[in-house]
Amino acid sequence: METQITGRKASVALRRREPLRLRTELKAVLYLIPFLIPFAVFYLWPVCRGIWMSLHVWGIRGMEKYVGIANYDKIFNNPDFYVYLWHSFYFVLLCTPTVIALGLVLALLINERIWFRTAIRSAFFLPYVLSVSVISFIWLHLFDAKNGPVNALLGLLGAGELNWLTDRGLVWWAITIVTDWWTVGFVMVLFLAGLQEIPPDHYEAAKIDGAGAWQRFRHITMPGLSSVMKIQIFYQVIASLKLFGQVQIMTGGGPGDSTNTMIRYIYVTGFKKDMFGLASAQSIVFCVIMLMIAAIQFKLTDRKDG
Amino acid sequence: MKRWFLNIAAALLALLFVFPLVWMLLVSLKPDGTTVYSLSDWVDWSGLNADNYAKVIRDSQILRWTWNSVVIGFLTTIIAVLFSSLAAFSFSKLPFKTRGIFFVLIASGLLIPTEAILIPLYETALHLKLIDNIWAIILPGLTNPIGILLLKQFMDGVPRDYLEAAQIDGSRSFGLWWRVCLPLTRSAMISVGIFYFILSWNNFLWPYLSITSAENMILSAGLPTFLSNNTMSLNLIMAASAIAAIPTILVFVLLQRHIVQGVSMSGVKG
Repeated sequence: METQITGRKASVALRRREPLRLRTELKAVLYLIPFLIPFAVFYLWPVCRGIWMSLHVWGIRGMEKYVGIANYDKIFNNPDFYVYLWHSFYFVLLCTPTVIALGLVLALLINERIWFRTAIRSAFFLPYVLSVSVISFIWLHLFDAKNGPVNALLGLLGAGELNWLTDRGLVWWAITIVTDWWTVGFVMVLFLAGLQEIPPDHYEAAKIDGAGAWQRFRHITMPGLSSVMKIQIFYQVIASLKLFGQVQIMTGGGPGDSTNTMIRYIYVTGFKKDMFGLASAQSIVFCVIMLMIAAIQFKLTDRKDG
Repeated sequence: MKRWFLNIAAALLALLFVFPLVWMLLVSLKPDGTTVYSLSDWVDWSGLNADNYAKVIRDSQILRWTWNSVVIGFLTTIIAVLFSSLAAFSFSKLPFKTRGIFFVLIASGLLIPTEAILIPLYETALHLKLIDNIWAIILPGLTNPIGILLLKQFMDGVPRDYLEAAQIDGSRSFGLWWRVCLPLTRSAMISVGIFYFILSWNNFLWPYLSITSAENMILSAGLPTFLSNNTMSLNLIMAASAIAAIPTILVFVLLQRHIVQGVSMSGVKG
């Protein structure tokens, strides 16, 4: 009875505010405007513009002619596209599992009561704050076949001279090592945050029940990290697909064409060959592929939850 | 026994991680023309000096680039955090009907990375006569919606009572944001801000394309020009890299706690 009365009162109050709704609406949107202006000009507009450009022959001087879907035809009939697309995926296959496994190991290590814990955590995270050009410069020279410290170090272990950046088999590993070193700190920090959410008494209980270290890891740690793990895989797949800086600086896409990725392909088509229309079409195709992968991942991980 | 093993493993791994950076510093301090290759090079500290730094600073515009990176980093960070905070306040505290539509629209910004809209973005900047202008880097840097999503979560934690009390004291909605929500989400704003600063400082591809003259270059995009310059020795290149790296390393060491918090926020809560 009482709730009914207060309910009616509230609706009366609401009705009285009715004419004001447009004003509250505008006022709330007003707070969004500062963000929305650059967002519209430098995100929404380019997204739409890109679709339009992809239907034209377009050079740096502007639109030349409307060609319909001819650019898309060109993309799918060019074997290069499939090669570079495969390179991008190949890098996902190399980099995503390694960086996540390494990040997990580092997080578990830091989560133990080790000496100089904060300093060691900083050492693992430090490379992440450096720019891609700095890390590529350093590793470009570390991997030098003749005078590089990597080969010097491996030489101590008895390895011969390895041509890290000019051997087609090794070059992807070199880029994976650089990328893992650079970004693993980020992965580690996310896992650490995830580890801290697992209640310590779960471990205590398992210990009392006589579970070994491996069993505790399998039945408590891994399930506890599952949601963080999903986010990490999601992030890393997309990040790996966007590979550009490391190859641009360290290999220039070489040796031959063997480390040319999709983003570098788009870059070369647009800015080196001056074919903006075709490059826009390539971007859209690649973007659709990325969105599809994101959607598939979303679907897969969502189902596991239910 | 196990404790010892873990400690040693962690220390060795940490050494392996800082090895490239130590190498960079050491090479940059060695006399021009010498390298660090064998073990004896590592321990020979006799000729260390800062000549390479002096030479890089004199012969290139690296200080100018550093300054540009600093200016762009600060402007992007401050503007982005304030704009994001305003939008987060609107989403969190002002009930409006079209909120869902706007929220989805803004969150869609997470879907398509800059890399995928490079060409039309370049065309847009060309039309607005922004190519080779620092605003060409700042303005697209303001479109990242992650700040809104993160700050909204913290705004949601600001108790209603506080806002009502401020309302009774005569604050209007702008005052509620400025006097109540802004101070209460300060630490989240710092974390988000540091995150934006590092993103801006390390931004590579877009500045590399949109800045064409040497004096408007930022550090991360300017460094690769050294590679095409054959007269640069390894020592000079490493001195240049160190100049680019040291500010971020310092920021990291000083603000570690906030950075780590910011990163874990972006993943776990976001």
